Amino acid sequence: MAGFDFTNYNRNAALHARGVPLPKATSTGTTIVGCIFDGGVVIAADTRATSGPIVADKNCEKLHYIAPQIWCAGAGTAADTEFTTAIISSNLELHALSTGRKPRVVTCMTMLKQHLFRYQGHIGAYLVVAGVDPTGVHLFTVHAHGSTDKLPYVTMGSGSLAAMSVFESQWKPNLGRDDAVKLCSDAILSGIFNDLGSGSNVDVAVITADKTELKRGFVRPNERSAKLKSYAFPKGTTAVLNEKIISKNDIGRYVSVTEVSVGEEAMEIDA
Amino acid sequence: MAAMFSQNPVMNGPNYSFSDAPRTANGEFREHRFNPYSDNGGSTLAIAGADFTIVAGDTRSTSGYSINSRYTPKVFKIGGTTSSQDDATILLSVVGFAADGEALRDRLDAICKIYRYRHGKPMSVTACAKRLSTILYQKRFFPYYVHAILGGLDEEGKGAVFSYDPVGSYEREQCRAGGAAASLITPFLDNQVNFKNQYVPGSGTGHDLKEREVVPLVRRDAEILVKDAFDGAVERHIEVGDGLQMMTITKDGIEEVLLPLKRD
Amino acid sequence: MDSLVSRYSRPAYEENEVAFRDEEQQDLELMGAAPPLSLKFAMPPIAQPSSWLRAATDDRSNPDCPIKIAHGTTTLAFRFQGGIIVATDSRATAGNWIASQTVKKVIEINSVLLGTMAGGAADCQYWLAWLGMQCRLHELRHKRRISVAAASKILANLVYNYKGMGLSMGTMCAGVTKEEGPALYYVDSDGTRLAGNLFCVGSGQTFAYGVLDAEYRYDLSDEEAVELGRRSILAATHRDAYSGGFINLYHVKEAGWVKLGFEDTNPIFWKTKLEKGEFTNVTADLN
Repeated sequence: MAGFDFTNYNRNAALHARGVPLPKATSTGTTIVGCIFDGGVVIAADTRATSGPIVADKNCEKLHYIAPQIWCAGAGTAADTEFTTAIISSNLELHALSTGRKPRVVTCMTMLKQHLFRYQGHIGAYLVVAGVDPTGVHLFTVHAHGSTDKLPYVTMGSGSLAAMSVFESQWKPNLGRDDAVKLCSDAILSGIFNDLGSGSNVDVAVITADKTELKRGFVRPNERSAKLKSYAFPKGTTAVLNEKIISKNDIGRYVSVTEVSVGEEAMEIDA
Repeated sequence: MAAMFSQNPVMNGPNYSFSDAPRTANGEFREHRFNPYSDNGGSTLAIAGADFTIVAGDTRSTSGYSINSRYTPKVFKIGGTTSSQDDATILLSVVGFAADGEALRDRLDAICKIYRYRHGKPMSVTACAKRLSTILYQKRFFPYYVHAILGGLDEEGKGAVFSYDPVGSYEREQCRAGGAAASLITPFLDNQVNFKNQYVPGSGTGHDLKEREVVPLVRRDAEILVKDAFDGAVERHIEVGDGLQMMTITKDGIEEVLLPLKRD
Repeated sequence: MDSLVSRYSRPAYEENEVAFRDEEQQDLELMGAAPPLSLKFAMPPIAQPSSWLRAATDDRSNPDCPIKIAHGTTTLAFRFQGGIIVATDSRATAGNWIASQTVKKVIEINSVLLGTMAGGAADCQYWLAWLGMQCRLHELRHKRRISVAAASKILANLVYNYKGMGLSMGTMCAGVTKEEGPALYYVDSDGTRLAGNLFCVGSGQTFAYGVLDAEYRYDLSDEEAVELGRRSILAATHRDAYSGGFINLYHVKEAGWVKLGFEDTNPIFWKTKLEKGEFTNVTADLN
């Protein structure tokens, strides 16, 4: 069945009424921006994901693929931006296949707003849609309730005011590609340093008629500092009440065991 | 409804931590409550050693998702003879609501100054600790919204840390973390200062295994723990950052250092 | 000495008066010699201070309250032929957060009187310290020790004056005097005051009662009584999430109280399990 499963709705509503808190969704309390230049469009995002005041992910991806020349920057509930862009990406591909044409940015924007409006804001996706298609260069914002805007430069998320202050003071018409990238990354940096919901690195995507360039970690101004001492414990520091060793042969009776070579991909641990 | 709040701060109204936004649907009457508090975030930490005490705090002051200031001290010298506090012997750190914290600091400082003027000697930390408890309790029915930590050297010259709840219950401890990242720093301190869950390898098997003996830290080690604790807190808590203010009391006086922390 | 007593005493009609003070008056007292444990409290400038206070500080009626006050939790005391055993755990919780594992929940009011702490930690610490002052003043005024009955009644009357304002305490006063012998009183912030042989107070009280009621006899030997107190607290720390840390033990005798220890629960638990074969519900067996 398509759509949402409401099986637990009444149970959850009753629990909530009795004071059980709702599970906390990971929100990408975010700065995302977009800016048009001559011959293309740039979108950029920070990489912090938060859950309340806790940083849930220090390097998440907020730039989402829709089509080769159409990309989305997402703010709001992490799962909602992820799935909404994936659904629209899928539908847009089918649409392109059936029409035999390249997908258009307006089509994507229209599909997004119709999808979001249907759910009356319950899908918490706030998106910046950017792309180049045969009709030209386009940049839109789409809000969770379904409203849209078309502007030469846009910002969204909790850091939108910090980012917009950069655009409003430095943007000028007919920017070059490099200037637009610099302006967008400066706007994100403003969000990273002045908005607590945003942080870590700057991701940038530059879309032009012939190619899309995704620059992951375009600026990394917040590298983790090294610990001043080693916190490695000597073996045997942890108390053990009891021990049981299951050999590979024994476990092989319950599950199938396959040999995997221990490669260079070692787990990341502190010294 | 974390999922439903707008990412645009303008649509949420001012981002106070305890905003009394209606929980019911819009359009219904909103109840206006007396709300004299806000939360200015930040974190504090104190460690007592054999002959020193370190009291530290980050210097960021926040309001919702905004930074009010990147340098607002949370650690104060208490009870010097002058406003410069050069000859102070006690440190107070306050975290929570900054206005209440400063009011509390001023009140305690005034009392310690009067005591020093009248008796011709500085107040002992143990006396000051008791007095701070009664100051907090005086506002039992209208509390100071703060988590206070007092540090100094006791009558024997040993490091002393006293921690308080908002209405004045207090206890002397070896170390204490307070504020927004207390839940991140405390387990680290339990393990690295009080050696909780650490045993001596090879000292026995099963229940005969010996716990690692707790000894007071040397000063340099304690300073390293403080810096590493805050570097860790900054990575995972959005309200902690900008600067680390670290004050150390020894028999020679109070030394203060300011170290940089990440600013995002 | 009499002048000192009079300085800290007030006429009876003022003695337990709940007064409101403004900031200006407070500053004046700061300059003068205000007694350190004054009965005057700052109040929020609104019509219903108590309901506001509840919304701001009571984590049971409002889980999102901004101020989480530390709460204390399993305490017990019982009378037996050798005096009184007082035992507590040492955990303080603020909401779901363990604020401390090393709280001293037995408050030494003076050399012969003990108070226990459950409910608001600050309320108990402050008012039992205040009670200590009242007991000392009583000694100075009347040239003899206060009875446990009188001391507990001073506390009960005091909390009754503040009834409905949000104090939260469940305390036991234990002491031995010539007139009363070993005496034990339960006083709580509702104003209840009961004399009795055996009390458990706090969120872990039911677990402690379970052990204590089963094994309690008045003619317990000193060693048996101490062990019973310890075992009852251990049971409570085992089953109540809000109790834990260390077991604090006191024995009140005719000459005054003796502190018997502040012992980590974890080794005591394993000792009880392995040496006495109790707690068979816990197992470290992997097969």
